[in-house]
Amino acid sequence: MTASALTRPGERDRLSVKVREIDWTLVVLLSVVAGVGVAMLYSIAGGEWQPWAADQLVRYSAVLVMALVLALVHPKWWFRAAYPMYGVLLVLVLMIEFTPLGYVAGGARNWLNLGFIRIQPAEFMKLGLVLALARWYHNHTAQEARLSWKLLIPAAMIGLPFLLVAKQPDLGSAMIIGLTGAAVMFVAGLSWKIIVPTGVLAAVGTPLFVIFGMHEYQRNRVLTFLDPTKDPSGTGYNIIQSKIALGSGGFLGRGYGLGSQSQLEFLPERQTDFIFSTVAEEFGFVGSFSLLICYAAIILIGLRIASLSHSHFGRIAASGMVAFFALFVLINGAMVMGLAPVVGVPMPLLSYGGSSMMTIMFGFGLVLSTRVHRYSELPKGHGLF
Amino acid sequence: MSSEPSIFFSDPNERQGSFLRRTLVVGGLTALGVMGLGLRLGQLQVVQAREFATLAAENQFNFRLVPPPRGLIKDRNGVVIAGNRPSFRVLVVRDETKDLDGTLDLLGRLLPDTLERRRGIIRDVNAAPRFTPVPVKSDLTWDEFARVNLYANELPGVMADMHEARFYPHGGAFAHVVGYVAKPNARDVEAYREAGEEVPTLLFNPSFRIGRQGIERSLEDRLRGEPGGNRVEVDARGRVVGEDAENSRPPVPGEEVVLTLDADIQNKALEVFGEEAGSCVVMDVRNGDVLCMVSAPSFDPNLFVSGVPTSVYRAWADYERRPLTDKAINGVFAPGSTFKPVTGLAALVRGANPDRRITCTGGFYLGRRFACHATHGSQDMRDAIKNSCNVYFMQLAVEMGPDAIAEVARTMGFGQTFDLGIGNQNPGLVPDTGWRRRNPVRGDGKWYPGETPSYAIGQGALTVNALQLAVYTSRLANGRKAIQPRLIKSIGGREQPPAGDVRDLPYDPALLAILREGMNRVTDVGGTGFRNSQLGLGAVRMAGKTGTAQVRNYGTGSRKSNVWSQKDHNLFIAYAPIDEPRYAVSVIVQHGGMGGGTAGAPRAREVMKVALLKDPDIRRRIEQSGFADTEDPGSHEANALGAAGPQGAPAPATEEAPPAAGAQPASTSEAPQ
Repeated sequence: MTASALTRPGERDRLSVKVREIDWTLVVLLSVVAGVGVAMLYSIAGGEWQPWAADQLVRYSAVLVMALVLALVHPKWWFRAAYPMYGVLLVLVLMIEFTPLGYVAGGARNWLNLGFIRIQPAEFMKLGLVLALARWYHNHTAQEARLSWKLLIPAAMIGLPFLLVAKQPDLGSAMIIGLTGAAVMFVAGLSWKIIVPTGVLAAVGTPLFVIFGMHEYQRNRVLTFLDPTKDPSGTGYNIIQSKIALGSGGFLGRGYGLGSQSQLEFLPERQTDFIFSTVAEEFGFVGSFSLLICYAAIILIGLRIASLSHSHFGRIAASGMVAFFALFVLINGAMVMGLAPVVGVPMPLLSYGGSSMMTIMFGFGLVLSTRVHRYSELPKGHGLF
Repeated sequence: MSSEPSIFFSDPNERQGSFLRRTLVVGGLTALGVMGLGLRLGQLQVVQAREFATLAAENQFNFRLVPPPRGLIKDRNGVVIAGNRPSFRVLVVRDETKDLDGTLDLLGRLLPDTLERRRGIIRDVNAAPRFTPVPVKSDLTWDEFARVNLYANELPGVMADMHEARFYPHGGAFAHVVGYVAKPNARDVEAYREAGEEVPTLLFNPSFRIGRQGIERSLEDRLRGEPGGNRVEVDARGRVVGEDAENSRPPVPGEEVVLTLDADIQNKALEVFGEEAGSCVVMDVRNGDVLCMVSAPSFDPNLFVSGVPTSVYRAWADYERRPLTDKAINGVFAPGSTFKPVTGLAALVRGANPDRRITCTGGFYLGRRFACHATHGSQDMRDAIKNSCNVYFMQLAVEMGPDAIAEVARTMGFGQTFDLGIGNQNPGLVPDTGWRRRNPVRGDGKWYPGETPSYAIGQGALTVNALQLAVYTSRLANGRKAIQPRLIKSIGGREQPPAGDVRDLPYDPALLAILREGMNRVTDVGGTGFRNSQLGLGAVRMAGKTGTAQVRNYGTGSRKSNVWSQKDHNLFIAYAPIDEPRYAVSVIVQHGGMGGGTAGAPRAREVMKVALLKDPDIRRRIEQSGFADTEDPGSHEANALGAAGPQGAPAPATEEAPPAAGAQPASTSEAPQ
């Protein structure tokens, strides 16, 4: 029995109904993608569960359970937690910058060591930002969301973490934060009068930023993207090897565990940023295109869930989450296919890594919760702040 | 959406409408993006798949060049002259070391001498292409090799392996004729480029050596062989993870080269030179095989294989006796009196009577006085050769002119290079009137009559090398054929024919026999070479001709000098056995001092003995005839001296040097006509 607008009151709050209302298609799709990821990690370790596959499997199982639990949490709790969460994460990002707890890995100071756990707050910041923005838009009118001075508040909410993360410098995360924020403002109804000039400004400003505002290694990444053959053993190596891996996979792939590019370590970062190339090498066009279809399905299902929500908070939060996920997919996909510069953006759910997977699955917990509670209205202005 | 009740005038619904439109846009954009990625995937994985598959295979598989073993060089009896020996070495791969300095520090503790060469090693390692091993030390002892292997785990990027290094077991004996190999340099690479050929990758292999001189250089293409390839599967760090035996091919070893040389004779020849400089060539007069070709002093070609230390090379290059020069074919000298048979032959060919007697009064006059080293009195051609009389041959030469001599000299092998299979030959110079016209002394290009007497006795502009002398002696001794020298016996098992067609000499063998009679007397009692030319092999005797070539104008001073570079060159040519010649020897002792009989003859004798004793036929002959029926040379000499006394040749003519000016009795007679 499916719930509808006409379901009896109270019925929807029953646990069994809620569990039924979870979008299991989405859960299955997410698990399929994560499962492919685990399989690939097993393959590139030379048919070993260590060092990545087992880890990833356990993590996914754990965050999947958490996501399902979060799916049952009423949006009002999300709503209430939005601002505090955003605040705490902002403090954590600041702590990286201004306390000795932050430490450097891979050229960027983007890890925070809290003693008992090491986290990348920038990852969770994306989620926090989406929630905070959703709450802000929930409390404001269409007119305000379209074109008003009040829009400076969401702009600041995006700009602050963007600048802090960009300063780490973790360009990939900053870009995701900025673009996710922009996507949220867009779906919330931002006027074209702002979108068009900003777009033009970005088109002009980006090259200038590349030349004057970037760190050496970042500029190199961009420049080598434009001409990877210029430095085939240095920064262009990644792009060239990734394309070779993709191309040599051919239509049907080289077979599971038989990709020479990934097995013999020609492919750099094959367990994280370039794992999609491994899939493409071993399973060919058939496999990699199917995987892309899975991603597309997840995104479209997510957007549909957002559009079904009765509360503006749910709409904005769910669509922000999905936009965030879509950005990951598109940027990573373009990167491994040589269509974008190499920026440290993993393929969601497929790449090895805890922080990113946790963020993504918490986010989908939110999306599922939006779907389960799509008929719930949220009053304006409620919250802890 | 459509199932929801819609209220269009309220703000929340305006928000919802706008959200739905925008979400549709986002969904569309996402779909577009994914479609774009799908198209790109199709382009890479379907359209360009083959191209990338090739690139992946290039990544995955590497051809590891396997250098071919260089062809052996052997002597006529199969003795290895140039071989390959296993050598342990240590190599460093820069891209596998985490920190080159640290690695070299550790390595320096195991192999202390690498510390001294550290700067050079760092330069070499940094100059090498990615993942190319650079040898830092060769010829490790077993202990050193074991030590490096023991610490291999702490020395990433360092490996010890075994390879084949060129080895010359006879050291310097064959250094000039066989040459040596050395590391290829930029000029070798350039040479390929200039010829428009592709530079073989073998050239960049750390263990490859290229032929630098002699046979090693001229037969480089045959000795080198074809490199093989090991198709190996490698990982991104260039480490071999598997071998693909099916697609590997073994190297083709270089061809084996057999020379006509005989290692025993060659070694003997170098040995007899001691610290003297010069050259010695031995030939088989029947077929032209060169049995020995030595230049002294020599050098150790093995040093070039791993690289000669600069100090050693400088010492070689600066030494006045020029160990690096091949004096056998590249050094030219005035032949001195060894040339006299040519003058004699030229006269005989023009119809001179060998029994004609010319009186030597101790000097010959043509504008000025040309001294003879003794007063020989009246003698025929045979005795003139025996006594090495200058006057006799000057007289003949003046009568026939220089062009007649030059023509015979060329026919006998002078003034030319031979197709030996090695380059670097200096043809020397056989002067004639035509040459003088082209190279005038005083502008008019005339051949001055005063040049002819010097020409007759092998002085003046005439220069020859030891190989030409040996060819000339072989032709004399053979008596019939214009023997051509042959150095390369076979390449890769295929016999090499002697260079050029062996024609008969254009002279009546009877005329050559007359000259041989003269040369037989040289080593007999009373001859200029008698004392130092006795083989002591019974009936097997050696004939020869001495020669002394002055290197400066003595003026009125003494010709004796204690300064090496001021001494006369000392030459000797010989053949044996007298009755049935088989071997010809030429010896040049550079600045050897007084008279060909003293420095040249004993060396020729020792070398000749080895050649004769190695010949089974000669051995049998010596064994069968025994020594009993041979005369005692001493008593022979005594008899001959008694007989020679009245003829006015009192002094034992072991020297052909003219007596010092003060001792020269004033002569009143004119030059005999």
